Amino acid sequence: MKKQFLKAGIVGLLFSSLLTVNAWSQSDPTGKRRVSDTYAITNATIFAAPGQQGIKGTVLFQDGVILGIGANLSLPKEAQVIPGDSLFIYPGFIDGAGLMGVTKPKDPERPKDFVSSNPPDELAGITPWRSAMDQFSITGSQVEDWRKSGFTISQILPDGGMLPGKATLMILGKEGNVNVLKENTAIAANFSGSRGMYPATVVGVMAKFRDVYQNTSLALDHSKLFASTAGVKRPEMTLTQSGMAAAVQGQIPVIFKAGSDLEVRRAIALQKELGFKLILTGLENYENVIGLIESSGTPVLIKLAIPDDKAVKNQKTEDVTEATKAQYERVKKAYENAIKQASLLEKAGIPFGFTTADAKAEDAMKAIRTLIENGLSEKAAMAALTTNPASILGISRMAGTIEKGKMANFVISSDSLFKEDAQIKHVVADGYIFDYEVKKKSTNGNGKTEGETPTITGVWEYTSETPAGSSGGELVISKDGSGYAGTITYDDPSGGGKVSAPIKNVALNGKTLTLQFDVNAEGMTLTVDISGEVNGTAMEGTMAVAQFGSFPLTAKLSSPNLTF
Amino acid sequence: MKKLNFIFVALLGMGLNYSHAQTQKGSVLIKNATVLTVTKGNLENTDVLVQDGIIKQVGKNLAAPSGVQTIDASGKYLMPGIIDAHSHVALDVVNEASSPITAEVRMKDVVNPFEIGIYRALAGGVTISHAMHGSANVIGGQNATLKHRWGAKDPSEIIMEDAPRTIKFALGENPTRVHGRGNGIQPRTRMGVEAVLRNGFSEALQYKKNWETYNAAKTQKGNTLTPPAYNERLQTLADILDGKIIIHCHSYRADEIYMLINVARDFGITKLVLQHTNEGFKVAPEIAKYTMGASVFADWWAYKMEVYYSTAFNAAILQRNGAITSINSDSAELIRHLYHEAAKTQRYGGLTDEEALAMITINPARQLGIDDKVGSIEVGKQADLVIFEGHPLSSYTVPQMTFVDGVKYFDIKADPDDQRQVVSATEMVEPIFLRTEEDHRCLQDVDAYFEAFQGAFLEEKH
Repeated sequence: MKKQFLKAGIVGLLFSSLLTVNAWSQSDPTGKRRVSDTYAITNATIFAAPGQQGIKGTVLFQDGVILGIGANLSLPKEAQVIPGDSLFIYPGFIDGAGLMGVTKPKDPERPKDFVSSNPPDELAGITPWRSAMDQFSITGSQVEDWRKSGFTISQILPDGGMLPGKATLMILGKEGNVNVLKENTAIAANFSGSRGMYPATVVGVMAKFRDVYQNTSLALDHSKLFASTAGVKRPEMTLTQSGMAAAVQGQIPVIFKAGSDLEVRRAIALQKELGFKLILTGLENYENVIGLIESSGTPVLIKLAIPDDKAVKNQKTEDVTEATKAQYERVKKAYENAIKQASLLEKAGIPFGFTTADAKAEDAMKAIRTLIENGLSEKAAMAALTTNPASILGISRMAGTIEKGKMANFVISSDSLFKEDAQIKHVVADGYIFDYEVKKKSTNGNGKTEGETPTITGVWEYTSETPAGSSGGELVISKDGSGYAGTITYDDPSGGGKVSAPIKNVALNGKTLTLQFDVNAEGMTLTVDISGEVNGTAMEGTMAVAQFGSFPLTAKLSSPNLTF
Repeated sequence: MKKLNFIFVALLGMGLNYSHAQTQKGSVLIKNATVLTVTKGNLENTDVLVQDGIIKQVGKNLAAPSGVQTIDASGKYLMPGIIDAHSHVALDVVNEASSPITAEVRMKDVVNPFEIGIYRALAGGVTISHAMHGSANVIGGQNATLKHRWGAKDPSEIIMEDAPRTIKFALGENPTRVHGRGNGIQPRTRMGVEAVLRNGFSEALQYKKNWETYNAAKTQKGNTLTPPAYNERLQTLADILDGKIIIHCHSYRADEIYMLINVARDFGITKLVLQHTNEGFKVAPEIAKYTMGASVFADWWAYKMEVYYSTAFNAAILQRNGAITSINSDSAELIRHLYHEAAKTQRYGGLTDEEALAMITINPARQLGIDDKVGSIEVGKQADLVIFEGHPLSSYTVPQMTFVDGVKYFDIKADPDDQRQVVSATEMVEPIFLRTEEDHRCLQDVDAYFEAFQGAFLEEKH
């Protein structure tokens, strides 16, 4: 009897699995499923690793894994062939630390008995138990913007206070897939204090970091004693201590954001004192600490951005005193030194990577070109985008180069990648192909619109889609001498109503309108870039804020100014 | 095991392990100066030989060893480098104003060697400053004693490695305003300040005992005792009780000064220096008997209620009552002319040259626990020296050269306008924050803290 039951069960199982297969093999009503997961990009120029010569050949990949590269590959029948004759293939870029797609979780309500001198950890920005995975969304423009710039993998950091949580390694592949490569890759740390409570400043943050670290260490000792000895009172590990334990036990590194040389020194001082594994991220001014980075062997991720050159460009040439000239010279020198730093890291033999956090995707390639113009070799730049972060993140086995068995992550460009005119045509991430329209060079072939400048003066009504919902306002543009001026209204970031700001750097280039305005939010000034294509009385484009990515924007010219 | 050892070391107060950068030491022969030794009288037409940062010889007709530069100081005055026992120069943060006790924070963590104030201080002959935590809390952070080695890029190069630990305390209006009025917690009154102190020390005693019990038990076989929570705040207070840290306490009124003396006596604390101490003249004998003296302003008061009852004779009265007395700046501006400030004790109180100069040299050195190393011109001491044109107590005096460890960091003849160490690549004119109280930095960084309480000071609580 029993046996029969068993048999019936097995048959049942078989049957249900058959059903599943059937379900899969039904036609895809969404029409989104791929015909094949196998692709071959043929006859392209392949740059398999930093510093290597390009070779003509084919890249064959299936299910996100590279099956082979070379000139004489036999291609399976199901392979979709993409002719790559004019294309240049590079390994997909890796972001050592990013905030793309991350939404900061809301602070919990303050308890009734809240005491600012001794706040709950969660309110004080101490949340090492949180995971970036819970804050990350692959949909939305931020991930798309960075993927468009060539990034295929990112170590996503959690957003928050001094210890916001754990990082997650993500592949920037297809929406809807599970894109996690590895969870809990590092504990993120910042020197920023919490507003109006302990620890409020960097000096308090450093003391609190020691406190959290030491008490985690003691709690682990307690747990060990409890496990080995009878009669020991039970351990009471707090959420914070459980969250920190992996870093204290040396299993995962602490990834500290340190923008300046002094912050780099502070992080390394804490590391030397406490003994955790350390990665530094967000470096901007580090010329003074290159020797220290080298001698301490600390892996570093520099910010993928170059400083704003406004101060240098706005220098006057006439009617300035000698003293002012000398000051100009120092600012210029400071600027030159700043963009030369990456090349100094290369000279010191430090295998650095990049972080996309707080940088702008659309300016990334320009920033890299500037670093190359200022002494960084193309090989080192490529390594900083691929093999170095792979090694820092411990994923060299699967990513960083184009090799058989590694992940199918590529950047495919129309020309040698670091050339001014090169454009990224496709990005392959996790074996999925993302196509990007290559901007046509402005040609004069398009007879109809040639020489016709659209009218932009007047009152525009715009709306933009941000993660926080749709918002909009009025954009008023008027002629100002040979240029344009005006104002824009937008939703007050501190809530309630609209505020107005003057617009600046308004330029019309062919049909492309660009302009900027400044938003003051919580004492910070953010510059918002608007760029769009004007077609008659409609405009379509984007609204971009450095740290927050770009959002789609549409506008309509509701009352054009009539020019007489 | 390593970790345990580490914690043990940290608990002994030796956790701070800054990489000891090689500081620069210089050699120089200064000839024919009027040497104001401060401790050993004035020596006319005398030479001082410095080798490797140390004063090697003081005498007449000294010859420069080969390779040692000679500076002719004929007609000029040579005095020990000026020491400012109360400063906030070269700190990125002054106040961690978020708790009535923040003994665990270390100003050494936030030293900024690029701050221009260091050079300005050097131009006023100041070679050492005591970079203190602010006065927002009853017990603030641990201070850093700095040597003004201008040009250093590594903060540890300007931290005086052989100076003892010191800590900031504050009584009266500042902590009661920030925590009591601003935040509705203890201390709201001067009584509350005393309670915070006594509770803190009592807790520290308990903390110390817990660790002693645990450390004794943990090596025993079959031990079931688990480690107490680590608390650097209480550990630091325990270190104060063990005489490892010198207290520097912001205080104005005689009653609160006397209160603190009583608290210190009750807990057996002897290493105590009073700061500001405008009513110190009322309790001068007590200050002399029970403390390491007072560090005061020459003539600065009336900037808040508790600082009205003041006199320019304060320093002289304290001095003549036998209290160790120093004159400090607490200001990036005053620090440039502490020699004038010291001279005021002659106008108000008729102190001798030696007494007046001691107020900005050997006396602050004693209060910082570094008088065996600096503060006077004596063979064997560190060569922190200043050459003045004119007697340093004259209104017409001008500092000429300033040396730290025998290295010249200021020379009026080589003094370009732009002395910035760091220039921004993105700002043509660097921002100047007018709201920062330039003169009195004791409450710096407290602003944001106040704001966070939604205008608690404007009485508009939502």
